[in-house]
Amino acid sequence: MNLPFIKKLSTKALIILISSELAAVVTGPPGNGDTPWVGFHDSITQKASFFGLFVTGRWALFYAIGIISYLAVHFFKKLNSNNSAMDSLRSQYSSVAKNKYFKLAAVLVIGVLAILLPTVITDPFWREAMVSQIAVFVLLALGLNVVVGFAGLLDLGFVAFYAVGAYATAWCTGALPMPPIFGSHVNPFFAIPIAIILAMVAGVILGIPTLRLRGDYLAIVTLGFGEIITLFANNLTGITGGAQGTEQVPHFSLHIGPLKYIWGLDPVPYYYLVIGFVILFIFIFYSLEHSRVGRAWTAIREDEVAAESLGINPLKYKVMAFAIGAASAGFAGVMTAAQSNFLTPATFTLALSINILVLVIFGGMGSIFGVVFGAIVIQTITMYLIHTPPAGYQPPDLYIYIGALLVIMMIFRPGGLFPARRRQRADVATSSLENSND
Amino acid sequence: MTNLFEVSNITLRFGGVVSLSNVSLYQKRGEILAVIGPNGAGKTSLFNSLTGVYQPQEGSITFNPKEGEPISIIGKKPHVISHTGVARTFQASRMFNALTTFENVKIGAESHKGIGAIGAILRGPATRKDEKYSDARTWDLLDFVGLRAKANYIASSLSYGERRRLEIARGLATNPEVLLLDEPAAGTNPSEKLELTDLIRKVRDQMGVSILLIEHDMKLVMSLAERLYVLNFGSVIAEGTPDEIRANQNVVDAYLGTTTAEGAN
Amino acid sequence: MHGFLSYLNAHFHALRLEFWGLFIGGIGSGIIYAMVAIGYTMVYGVLRLINFAHSEIFMTGAFAGYFTLNYLIGSSSPTGFSSILLIIVGILAGGITGSFFAVVLERVAYRPLRIRKAPKIAYLISAIGASYFLLNLAAKEFGRIGRGIAQPYQNHTVFTIFGAPVEMYNIIIFVAAGIMLIIVDRLVSKTKLGRSIRSVAQDSETASLMGVDIDRTIAMTFVIGGFLGGAAGFLYALNVGVLYSMGFTPALKAFTAAVLGGIGNLRGAVIGGLILGVTESFTVVFFSGAYTDVVAFAILVLVLMFRPTGILGELIGRSA
Repeated sequence: MNLPFIKKLSTKALIILISSELAAVVTGPPGNGDTPWVGFHDSITQKASFFGLFVTGRWALFYAIGIISYLAVHFFKKLNSNNSAMDSLRSQYSSVAKNKYFKLAAVLVIGVLAILLPTVITDPFWREAMVSQIAVFVLLALGLNVVVGFAGLLDLGFVAFYAVGAYATAWCTGALPMPPIFGSHVNPFFAIPIAIILAMVAGVILGIPTLRLRGDYLAIVTLGFGEIITLFANNLTGITGGAQGTEQVPHFSLHIGPLKYIWGLDPVPYYYLVIGFVILFIFIFYSLEHSRVGRAWTAIREDEVAAESLGINPLKYKVMAFAIGAASAGFAGVMTAAQSNFLTPATFTLALSINILVLVIFGGMGSIFGVVFGAIVIQTITMYLIHTPPAGYQPPDLYIYIGALLVIMMIFRPGGLFPARRRQRADVATSSLENSND
Repeated sequence: MTNLFEVSNITLRFGGVVSLSNVSLYQKRGEILAVIGPNGAGKTSLFNSLTGVYQPQEGSITFNPKEGEPISIIGKKPHVISHTGVARTFQASRMFNALTTFENVKIGAESHKGIGAIGAILRGPATRKDEKYSDARTWDLLDFVGLRAKANYIASSLSYGERRRLEIARGLATNPEVLLLDEPAAGTNPSEKLELTDLIRKVRDQMGVSILLIEHDMKLVMSLAERLYVLNFGSVIAEGTPDEIRANQNVVDAYLGTTTAEGAN
Repeated sequence: MHGFLSYLNAHFHALRLEFWGLFIGGIGSGIIYAMVAIGYTMVYGVLRLINFAHSEIFMTGAFAGYFTLNYLIGSSSPTGFSSILLIIVGILAGGITGSFFAVVLERVAYRPLRIRKAPKIAYLISAIGASYFLLNLAAKEFGRIGRGIAQPYQNHTVFTIFGAPVEMYNIIIFVAAGIMLIIVDRLVSKTKLGRSIRSVAQDSETASLMGVDIDRTIAMTFVIGGFLGGAAGFLYALNVGVLYSMGFTPALKAFTAAVLGGIGNLRGAVIGGLILGVTESFTVVFFSGAYTDVVAFAILVLVLMFRPTGILGELIGRSA
C-alpha cells in the first residue's frame, strides 16, 4: 500500500463523512436557542430505519448513504468515460434530439399532457398548487431566465416585478385604498395589459440607473430594491393597504357578446388560462433568443467591450432584457392576485427572488426547456413537502435546501440540468482558452 | 479633401500616470497607416481613445466621414462611434465564444439597425428582409476573409490566424470607413502572417476601407504601411514613410532601449 | 411651501437638540459597519468579488458570542475585571467562529469555482446559496425568535459630551473595535502576510510568480475578514440580541460603507463606516424609523452611480 493513496482515500472518506453528517443535520429534528446543540445532537444520534431493513443511528445511516451515492456517481462517471456503447447511445440520442421534427413532436406531446393534466389530478391541494405554485412559477422562471440566462444579469430583486403586477391588478380592480383611474370594479382581464405594461415600465425605471453598474454591484443593488419595494408596500398604507394588503381582488370574468364566463374558485379554468400565457411567453422568448436581440444579449454577456465596438448599445439591450423579463413576472402577478383574491407584502420577499433564481439555475440558465423543467420539478417537490411533510420538516426549511442546491449546482453543474447550447459552448471555450485583457 | 482622422494634442491620464501626452496625428482617406512603439508606449491607449473606450482629458479627435459633418470623437460612447464608421479589432482576440463564426459576423452586420424586439417576435416581412440582407452580407464577408468553410464552427475552436480573420470580417460587417487593427499578427505563424498581410491590403484595395494598424512585427508593418508614427512614453517621436523611419536615429535609440530590437533592422 | 419649511425648521431644531446624542450613537453603529466592511473590502481586494455570504459570518459570530456568554454568565451579573474578561472571551468566540465559517465558505463555495475559472456570476450565485443555507440552518437549529444576550457588564452613563450621555456600551464598542481595527491595519501594512495580501490584490499572477502562495493568502484574507465580521456580530448582539436573520441589514450597510470608502481600501472602509453610521443616525430625525434602511441604501446607489471609486478611491484601480 502506498501512502499517498491512503491519504487520498482518507481525505475522501472525511469529506463524505462531513457532508453526510451535514445532510443528517439539515434533515434532522430542529433545535432551539436555549440548548444550542440539541438539534445537531438529535439529528446525529436518533435511531432511524434503513428502508425497514435494520435500525441504526442517523449518523451511520447517512454515512452509508453518502458512501453509496459517492460510489454510484463514481461508477457512473467511469462508465460514462469508458463505455463506447454508452457513447454511441448518447450520440444517437443527441442526433435524434437535434432533429427538428422530433423537437416539434416532443413539444406537442408535452402540450397534450399539459392539457390533459387536470383530468388526472383531482386532489384539491394539487389542483390549487398546479396553478398558483407551479404554473405561475414557470412564468416567473421564464421571465428571470431572460434577465439572468440570456443577458447574464444577476437580478436578485426580480420579485419586485411580480409585486408590481399583483398590486397593479388590485389597483385596477379597485381593491386598493388608492382609487383606480378607470373607475372601480374593472374586470381583472382588463388589468392584464395594464399590469404587464406597468411591470415593464418598472423594469425600465429600475434598469436605467442600475444597469450601468458592474455585475456584482447590480446584484446587490437589485437585492436592495427588492427589499425596498416590500418596505414601501408595508408602510404606504394609504396606497397599498399596508401590511394587511387587500382581500378584494375579483376573479376573472369574460363578457363578449353572448359569451359569458366567470372564473370562480375552481383552479382548473385558471390553469388553462396560465398555460395559454406560458405558451405565449415561451413563443415570445424563444423568438427573441433566436433573433438579432438574442444574439446581441449573448454578445454583451460574453464580451461587453467587443459588443460595444460593433455598435451594440449595452445599456439599451440590458434595459430591454429587464423590461421583457418583467412582463411575464407582471402577468404572474395578475394571476396570483386574481386567483387568490388577496395579496400582502409578505408574499414578495427576497426569499422568493432566490426561490425563482434556483428554478432557473437548476434547469439551466438560458435554456427555455431547462427552465420550465426546473420550475416544474422544484416546485412540485416543494409542494409535496408542504402537502406531506416528513417528520421535523417545517416549510421555511425549504430555503436550506435551496441554498445548498445553488452551491452544489455552481460547483458541479453550473450550466444546469439542461445547459443552453450557447452557454455550453462558452463553458468549453473558457476552459480551453484563457482570454487575457489588453 | 479633408483627412479621415485628425487627432490634435490629446493627453490621457489615469490618476497620476500619463498614458498619452500631447499626441497629434492624422490619417489620410484610403491610407494604410501604422503606429509602432515599444510596449507600454501608449499604442492601445491611442486606439481606445479613438474608439471611445477611454476619454482623453485634453485635446480633440475629429473623424470626417465621407458624407455628413465632421464628428468629434471625444465624449462619445463606443457604440455611437461604431455607427459613424469606425471599426476595430482587439489585441487579444475578443470573440463571442458562445456563438458560431457566422453568428459572430452577423452581429456586426445587424447591429446598426434599430433594436426590433417586436419585429423579432412577429417576424414580419421587413424583419425577414433585414435578416436576408444580413445573412447575405455575412456570407460575402466570410468568403472575403476565407472562412466560409468554418461558418458553423464555434468561434473559440478557430486557430489564432482564423480568429484574426474573423475579427476583421466582424469589424467590416459594421460597414466602416476605417478599420483599426490592434496587433493583428500577434500569435500567428509565418504563413498566417503572409495571408493576413494580403488580406489587410485587400480590405483597403477592394473595399476602400482605410486601415490604422498597431503592430510589433516590424517586417509586416514595413511591408504594409504607407506611413508610420512612432510612439514612445506616450509621445510621438517620429513620423514618416517606412524608409524615413528606418533611417531615423530617435527611433533606433528608442527601440534599442527595449527588447524589441528587431525594430532597428 | 410654508408648511414644508416649518417642517424642515422643526426637524433641524430637533437635530440641533439631539446632535451629540445622535452623533455618539452613529459612531457606535458606524464602527461596527467598519469592522464588517473590512471583510468585504479585503475579499474584494484579493478575489475581485463581493462576498455575499459575509452577512452570515456576522450572524454566526453573534450566535457564538451569545452561547458562550450565556453559558459563562448564567444568572450572575459580572462587574469590573470579570466584565472585561467576558467581553474579550465573547469577542474571541465570535471572531474565531467567524473565521472558521469564512474559511469553510471559501473552501466550499469559492475555491472550486476559482480552480475552474468560472465567470463572476457563478461566484455570486454560489455565495448567495451559501448565505441562504447558513441563514436558514441557523433558523432551524436556533429558532426563529430573537433572544437577548446575557450582559457581561452593567450599563450606565459614564460621562457626558455637551449634555449627551456616553454609555458603557458605547465605550466598550469603541475601544474593542478600535483596537481590532488598528491591529488589522498594522497586520496588513507591516507583516509578511500583509505584503502577500497586498501583492495578490495588486496582481495575483505576478504574485504567484514571485512565490506567494495564492490559496493560502486568500484563505488568510478570509480568516482576518471573518474574525472582524464575527467579532462585530458579537458586539452588535451585545446591544440588540441575536436572531438568525440579523446579518442582512448591517451587512448591506457595511457593504455600502466599503463602497463609500472605496472598495479594496481598508482605511476607506473604516471612514465609510463611520460616515454612514453618523449620517444614518441623523436621518432618524427626518424620516420615520422604517425608512432609515432606505437612506443607507440610497447612499449606496448614489455612490455607485456617481462616484463608484468611493471617497478615498479604489486602492487598485482596474477596469474589469
